[in-house]
Amino acid sequence: MKWTAIDDFGIVINPMIVEGQVHGGIAQGVGQALLEGAVYDKHGQLVTGSYMDYCMPRADNLPSFNVDYVVTKCPSNPLGIKGCGEAGAIAAPVAVVNAITNAVGHEDVPMPATPQAVWAAVQKSAKLRKAAE
Amino acid sequence: MYKFAYHKAKNVKDAAALLKKAGDSKLLAGGQTLIPTLKLRLAGPAALVDIGGVKELSGIALKGKDLVIGAMTRHAEVATSKVVRKAIPALAALAETIGDPAVRNQGTIGGSIANNDPAADYPAACLGLGATIVTSKRKIPADKFFKGLFETALGDDEIITEVHFPVPKSAGYAKFPNPASRYALVGVFVSRNGSDVRVAVTGAGEGGVFRVAEMEKALQKDFSAKALDGIAVKPRGLNSDIHASAEYRAHLVGVMAKRAAASAA
Ligand SMILES: Cc1cc2nc3c(=O)[nH]c(=O)nc-3n(C[C@H](O)[C@H](O)[C@H](O)COP(=O)(O)OP(=O)(O)OC[C@H]3O[C@@H](n4cnc5c(N)ncnc54)[C@H](O)[C@@H]3O)c2cc1C
Repeated sequence: MKWTAIDDFGIVINPMIVEGQVHGGIAQGVGQALLEGAVYDKHGQLVTGSYMDYCMPRADNLPSFNVDYVVTKCPSNPLGIKGCGEAGAIAAPVAVVNAITNAVGHEDVPMPATPQAVWAAVQKSAKLRKAAE
Repeated sequence: MYKFAYHKAKNVKDAAALLKKAGDSKLLAGGQTLIPTLKLRLAGPAALVDIGGVKELSGIALKGKDLVIGAMTRHAEVATSKVVRKAIPALAALAETIGDPAVRNQGTIGGSIANNDPAADYPAACLGLGATIVTSKRKIPADKFFKGLFETALGDDEIITEVHFPVPKSAGYAKFPNPASRYALVGVFVSRNGSDVRVAVTGAGEGGVFRVAEMEKALQKDFSAKALDGIAVKPRGLNSDIHASAEYRAHLVGVMAKRAAASAA
């Protein structure tokens, strides 16, 4: 699996910190897309109350990241810099879920796209294919 | 946490006596299940009897045709033991998938089996290898040991001392971990020992670990993943919860059984 993120943060002053921010953001986005789901029962009780049930992304859920920049100097401050804190988290869920909808051939895929949700989506693709024949 | 008395047992006999004397008491092994339960006030025993220091309960050895593992043996010891890796590599691999390093360094085989969590891994190995659970009082075949959710054949003051695993010709375990806790969403253990072929499923059954006769029959004829083609378990009687529906678990049992057979063949 290959993951590439290209951002425009203006002038990058400390590349190590910026890349770390992007890594963290991607992890958060992948968590949102695939793992993190808060579930309440019918009485309103939170049933994902601990990390035994609520799945935070961990290192083994993620590929290595390839991070790069396009630099357009920001005209409104003397350093030419832009914010970068949440950049990874914005595109990541979209990229992941688009990859899944592309693979299954329809858009009925919930977030988080857990193994069961993807399995159900694949069942639906088979049904749709049959109906189209 | 509620208040409780703490006793440290010197040996198995001492532990059994302490358990009996203290009345409403519980054994403390690795504490990975019991301590969180106490912290959440889901249990309030009057006393804990700690068997962590009982040397005779810990260890791994080959005795005749059996691999014998003491009840206090930690998951990490089973995972890394050269003896286990040589005799039953699938068992070492299973221990390696339990929880995380902290859990594996504390949790014990005896505690896991006594607890009989429907998503725990060791019950699948015990049933899937036809193990014998040895206690302070008797020997119990795995087929009679696991009684239901968190229920076993153990009496109140009965202590698991050892587990005897017959060394099979081949065995395999495949686990689909719950992505959050890493307990088994579904785990399937298969083994072949002469004419005895076993398929044991954990994580899926409403009543805990169970065997699949139809798969065992197919594997008896041809011990390969291919022999399991087209054999499906029914969702009825399987667990449905926030992590997986009974239908999805039924699907996973088929997939994991094939992977287990492929890794064993
Ligand atoms: C984060 C986390 C992840 C986990 N993931 C997994 C997993 O992936 N797979 C898995 O299988 N397990 C998992 N576990 C459970 C773990 O394997 C525990 O170690 C195990 O279930 C209990 O063993 P223990 O030695 O900690 O027992 P304890 O918590 O000390 O005791 C559990 C129960 O067994 C009784 N008991 C203990 N020893 C004996 C004995 N010798 N005879 C009779 N009764 C006894 C105790 O009285 C108590 O009722 C996980 C636990 C945690 C906290």
